[in-house]
Amino acid sequence: MKKIESDVVVIGAGPAGLSAAVSAKQHGARNVIILDRNSWLGGILPQCIHDGFGVEETGSSMTGPEYAEKYVKLAEKHNIEFMMETMVLKINKNHEISAINKKGIFKIKSKSLVLAMGCREKTRWNILIPGSRPSGIYTAGVAQAFINLYNIMPGKNIVILGSGDVGLIMARRLKFEGANVLGVVEILPHPTGLPRNVVQCLDDYDIPLYLNHTVTFIEGKDRVEKVTIAQVDKDLNPIKSTKKELKCDTLLLSLGLIPENELSLDVGVKIDKITGGPIVNQVFETSVPGVFACGNCLQVYDTVDMLSMDSKIAGENASKYVKKSKKKKKNISVKPGKGVRNVIPQIVDEKGITQFSFRVKKPKQNVMISCANEEKIIFKKKFRWVNPANMIKINVDISSDIIEKGQSLEVSLK
Amino acid sequence: MKKEITCIVCPIGCKILVEVKDNSAEVCSGNKCKQGLKYAVSEALDPKRVLTSSVLVKGGLWPLVSVKTSMAIPKNKISSVLKEIKKKHVKAPIKSGDVIIKNIANTNIDVIATKTVNKY
Amino acid sequence: MKTFDVGIIGGGVIGSAIARELSKYTIDVAVFEKGCDVASGSSKANSGVVHSGINSPAGSLKARFCVQGNTMFNDLAKDLGILVKWVGKYHIAKNAGEVSKLEKLKNVGLKNGVPGLNIIDGEEIKKKERNVSCHSALWVPTAGIVSPYEFTIALAENAAVNKVSFFLETKVVDIKKQKDFFQIFTNKGEYQAKILVNAAGVDCRNIVSMVEKPNFNIYPCRGEYLVLDKKCSSLIHSMIYPVPVKELGVLGVHITPTTEGNIIIGPSAEFIEDPYDKMTTKDMMKTLMNEAQDIIPKLSNDFVINAYSGIRCKLASSDAGGWADFRIEESTINPGMINLLGIESPGLTAALVIAKEIKTMVLNHMPLKNKDRFKKRKQVKRFVDLSVSEQKKLIEKDSRWGRVVCRCEHITEAEVINALCNPLGATSLSSVKYRCRAGMGRCQGGFCTQHIIRIMEKQFSLNIESMKLKSSESYLFTGRNREVKDEKN
Repeated sequence: MKKIESDVVVIGAGPAGLSAAVSAKQHGARNVIILDRNSWLGGILPQCIHDGFGVEETGSSMTGPEYAEKYVKLAEKHNIEFMMETMVLKINKNHEISAINKKGIFKIKSKSLVLAMGCREKTRWNILIPGSRPSGIYTAGVAQAFINLYNIMPGKNIVILGSGDVGLIMARRLKFEGANVLGVVEILPHPTGLPRNVVQCLDDYDIPLYLNHTVTFIEGKDRVEKVTIAQVDKDLNPIKSTKKELKCDTLLLSLGLIPENELSLDVGVKIDKITGGPIVNQVFETSVPGVFACGNCLQVYDTVDMLSMDSKIAGENASKYVKKSKKKKKNISVKPGKGVRNVIPQIVDEKGITQFSFRVKKPKQNVMISCANEEKIIFKKKFRWVNPANMIKINVDISSDIIEKGQSLEVSLK
Repeated sequence: MKKEITCIVCPIGCKILVEVKDNSAEVCSGNKCKQGLKYAVSEALDPKRVLTSSVLVKGGLWPLVSVKTSMAIPKNKISSVLKEIKKKHVKAPIKSGDVIIKNIANTNIDVIATKTVNKY
Repeated sequence: MKTFDVGIIGGGVIGSAIARELSKYTIDVAVFEKGCDVASGSSKANSGVVHSGINSPAGSLKARFCVQGNTMFNDLAKDLGILVKWVGKYHIAKNAGEVSKLEKLKNVGLKNGVPGLNIIDGEEIKKKERNVSCHSALWVPTAGIVSPYEFTIALAENAAVNKVSFFLETKVVDIKKQKDFFQIFTNKGEYQAKILVNAAGVDCRNIVSMVEKPNFNIYPCRGEYLVLDKKCSSLIHSMIYPVPVKELGVLGVHITPTTEGNIIIGPSAEFIEDPYDKMTTKDMMKTLMNEAQDIIPKLSNDFVINAYSGIRCKLASSDAGGWADFRIEESTINPGMINLLGIESPGLTAALVIAKEIKTMVLNHMPLKNKDRFKKRKQVKRFVDLSVSEQKKLIEKDSRWGRVVCRCEHITEAEVINALCNPLGATSLSSVKYRCRAGMGRCQGGFCTQHIIRIMEKQFSLNIESMKLKSSESYLFTGRNREVKDEKN
């Protein structure tokens, strides 16, 4: 067993891990190691060949690979060490990592740990689509990898379930690659991806969007032959009389993402049932001291810009933790209130201007977002529009009084 | 001629009605803000898109290099640009930013690599 | 043309067990399997239970073969290098009213010679199975679990290593009886065999009708299953079966642990028209979870990672009670044709016994001389189950043991490669999955699929367009996005 020690270890070299690692180095960590299970750096970014990345951060719109390369260059400049094609098998409660790669088995000890494992895609069985089990059913990300990384075409006549950005981007990509995209099926009454993608991926190419619809049956003896779609009622249950068959050979599933937290559970961090990711404080430290979480394994982000911004804070504080481990402080919890699905951070233990990111439950226009404890409202802001598909950030000034009082805060919508 | 433009500036996605006459356009209705107005006019008169795709690489670590048009191209040029991209082959190594196809489909816009692909 | 001594139609658990048994002798044996791999049909889509024998009526072939097969199973598993876990089974009575059913079952078991049967109080059971609430249960210690595809693959590969010829993707379309042999017409050409063994599962009647008029009907009965995440594995230790709803016809919805640590819920039992209709249906998936929740309230759809279904080849219709015994018989019209009909549960448990029966029947036609050397099959341990020093040694020998390609199950590149190097020549994505487990975790191939395909492409030079998921026509891809004139990439 080869032993390695490092100030900071980051698990995952996607945008979260890369920006956290660079930030950790910039804030004084002597050594930072990033572990990644792939042979490439950038996580999912190299296969996201479309543009739209980094607009908030840099003002210019980059493609996924360009955004990744920018951070990889920065990481190299800061002498960050990479262990590639390295899988973390387990982590014990003392942060000791057992990892494996072609060179052998390693035991890695670090003073602080950053969890940046990203997420995985929901599968057909997460929503239990009935029917046969033929070939030709792919999650959108896997199809994207085949087309963009490996020069392999998954199918010719495609139906896409889910109108999130990944599904929309893939609709256009498949069209560009000569496939016949029969339509995008979305269970909600509105698309969940950005209007920009609805216009530039569907409208531009006359790809039908079936709102208020879902796939109720998959047929095909060996390969997908057709799918049945149906309209849904307000409870999202299929209406039998509206069933329609779409002959196709491929069903692409863009059903949503699940934060990957197997390793987080290993370390013993507390998980938020709603986000599926760790419960963190305002500097992204989890319930286990010295263990930080950022990126999609913490919560599913909409843009890489927001994700990198938060990951930098995680990295910075991972590096600060190395120098001085924090004493356990008094803290307050932050919960989602009426109309709000989830809020991060779920814990605040330091006074000051704290950035909260949250998602609402339903799309609404002209609403008031407030943050309050039992006694008073400490923050209020009007929003012209809110949408569950768009994470919102607010900056709330939390005084030491509020923390002393010990009452939990609630972010809610009116 | 009246055109309905879906605004992409913010997630509300207002449907904006634009009247196009000769080379000018005027918004009739639908926008909720100034940015929407600006976007709708430009989209109605001269819709442009940044195109991203991939080009075959020979002798590289990866079989494809991802590419993009260095600027937005006219929307009506998309299929001819895609055709040219499909036919192109390049040899590794390719650096991100390298010009892969100069002046694609007579647009005076280049197609550049967005990824570095080293030799196998 | 070579004339095989024995041609076995069907590479399921029965066909493979027969092939292996016959491979101990110096005769030429061939297996014709229409799928891309063995265990393509019902052999992989069942509960993987080594039954005790209490579910079959006393005196039946099913009962006799099951009890005998059960006692032989441990040694068989050792010889094949596969895992069998004797987890035992609780047939639970939810209330006092169901206790008589337990006693009935116990009596059948006693008649069949099943050892160790005991009716235990609900409170006692709670000490061992804290998530199960019931009035009482019949404890069946001799019931075990095995991976049905691992078992079938082990039987077949052991047979192949001992010189049995496996013809995969080879579908028998016609048979003609000649004087001393059978002509077997397949989609891949013509073969000849002196003796034919019809182990074709749900296709058994189709095969019989190629040579004579069948004197039976088959009634396909579909069983759907739900597969639960390994996170649930600590919820139960033994199999939990509610008492049978019908008299010895159908087993009901069970909760069964697997050898790998998942839990499966099922099977359902639905008589259907089309023997190939392996749909998983919305209603049934709901019913399975509801019934399972009745027994273990902690379960929910959140834990479901996969669903599948298998078809039982029944010889009795639902109206006729749905139960019929095994029919293992040589045709009187066409001597030399041995038919195995209606081999449903406990077929897996009885596989070795059935194989020995067939051997005896073959002996009526030809002498069987023992081979000088019969190669046994060594257990192949998963990389994750090895000690750290064993793992290190492997990585030093071949660095591909150090590259993990399946993140959920921690399967290494070397294991994927070994799976593709199987003696049967099966190279579908499912062949890899069923041998090394890559793709069976909660992400269901989300991470590993691209890596496995890349290995197939680069290290095995498999053509993209010919890559399949499981059956001959289940192509994965339609081609390349960019034409590559000389395949260097």
